[in-house]
Amino acid sequence: MTTIKRTGSSDLVWLILKFTVAILIALIAVFPIWWMINVVFAHPGEPVSLNPRLWPTSLSAGVSKIQAIFAETGYLRAYGISIAYSVLTIAGVLTVASLAAFEFSLFDFPGRRLLFGVVLLALMVPTAVTIIPTYLITSRLGWINTMQGLVVPGVASAFGLFMLVQFMRAIPKDMIEAARLDGASHLQIYWFVALPLCRNALVTLAILTFIQAWGNYMWPLIISTQTDMYTVGQVVGLFNSPLSHNTVDTVMTANLLAAIPPLLFFLIFQRKIVEGVAMSGTKG
Amino acid sequence: MSFRRHLPHYLMIAPFMILFAAFFLYPIASGLFYSFHDWNGVQTPVFVGLGNYEKIIHSRDFSRAMINLATYIAITVPLGIIVALCLALLVDSFTGRWSNFFRNAFFMPVVLPAFLSATIWRWIYAPNFGLLNTILGFFGAESVNFLNDTGTMLYALIAVDVWVSAGFNMVIILAGLKNIPTELYEAARLDGASKWQQTVFITIPMLGPVLFFVFTYGFISAMQVFDKPWLLTGSSFASYGGRRNALLFPVMDMMGRAFGGVKFGEAAAYGFILTLAIVSITALMFAVRSWRER
Repeated sequence: MTTIKRTGSSDLVWLILKFTVAILIALIAVFPIWWMINVVFAHPGEPVSLNPRLWPTSLSAGVSKIQAIFAETGYLRAYGISIAYSVLTIAGVLTVASLAAFEFSLFDFPGRRLLFGVVLLALMVPTAVTIIPTYLITSRLGWINTMQGLVVPGVASAFGLFMLVQFMRAIPKDMIEAARLDGASHLQIYWFVALPLCRNALVTLAILTFIQAWGNYMWPLIISTQTDMYTVGQVVGLFNSPLSHNTVDTVMTANLLAAIPPLLFFLIFQRKIVEGVAMSGTKG
Repeated sequence: MSFRRHLPHYLMIAPFMILFAAFFLYPIASGLFYSFHDWNGVQTPVFVGLGNYEKIIHSRDFSRAMINLATYIAITVPLGIIVALCLALLVDSFTGRWSNFFRNAFFMPVVLPAFLSATIWRWIYAPNFGLLNTILGFFGAESVNFLNDTGTMLYALIAVDVWVSAGFNMVIILAGLKNIPTELYEAARLDGASKWQQTVFITIPMLGPVLFFVFTYGFISAMQVFDKPWLLTGSSFASYGGRRNALLFPVMDMMGRAFGGVKFGEAAAYGFILTLAIVSITALMFAVRSWRER
């Protein structure tokens, strides 16, 4: 109560203004996503003038559209491919980067600085220069239209390594020494000491990797050239192409289904995602 | 002896380093090799010296793409940061739950895959029945074909771009705001500085390094823009760039030469030209920054 008494009327105007602006911007940010949901959950026949799709109007219409898209198109298969692609990429990135980060952050060996320096340089090299030659070597390995072609070239993530090194540096060297004196092997120290201590960083990296892999459009576009290897991004792209004769309802259903996994992740892990992005910015 | 002692270390970094060498270092080296050769992916590469580079620089698509890119960057990078800074200050002025709520709402577009932000906006921009034209029609305006009118295409892309990047930059700026010592504001308040003066003379200067990072990062990713213009124009390797190449960008041009025209040497050279541009401009920005700090 005291705070309200002390705030003058100009402060109150300011507060109302602030809220109005913030809510308006929030609407702009969220509305396209909201609108997509409304288009899906509305009877397809209703003209926009009668139902402007400002809120969901029919659950059953949405469900039947989703069923139709899974039954009539290769969408379900693409979904499976995208999930496999994301999960395998996460597993690969976490394993390979945490093994290397463990060494780079906690031990010293000849060549450590040089090797780490080279990896750091990679952070500054734009994808534009690597994508074509990486495609060429992947193609020479015969990995076009294969899962390994999608996953393996993206596993050695310099960003992932850098992030985990930052975290593992904080592990006290005494703990490593103590574990060693207790007779733990190198691999055991990694598994039982280092990994549990940087669990938070691993989860954050996993989420960021998921969002990145699920949203990757460019790499699958050139690696998956056959329809049975298409990812969700490509199928969504095809649905939207000028030559496709899909209605806005079908396209938005495809869009919505592609948006669900990252949005779900965001609702569950919002703090981790926001912190992860903020950290990659302030420490980078 | 010494090597055997260090062997476990090397074994642990081996998976990363091998993959890194195979799919990062080697491609760069081989890309450089191909960039001096005429190669369609099947026949043996023919050495052409700087031929590819010359061909690209003199091509009409290249200058079109570069002009588009320059206009795009000149608007989207500063605009994205100004919007992000305003959003961050706005979110920061709230406390507790509201602050979190607005931050999450503004951040939501970032989580969406880039291909989705493009495809959703395609429908918002659609002529006649699209959302934006419906709203404009409400005010009595004529229907605009945003993605097929060379006068509006670039701005349509920038709007989508800012819609996404503002939330991303905002989160980084917010982290920077948290690092500004509160004593500074207290001292300023005691000296009678208004909220506005505090923002201009404390917040923004203290955010310098963060804003510089956001600017460089935004610049580097804008230089390589691909997904959004590609999908907004409904491109394929057979035809891309939209009407009269109004949304043709360097990476699209590069990808088109590789997978549409099967000219891998030219595409590799394209990548190097682009990288050279990115690296030299970034280096220049760093140089200007350290010169100003002195």
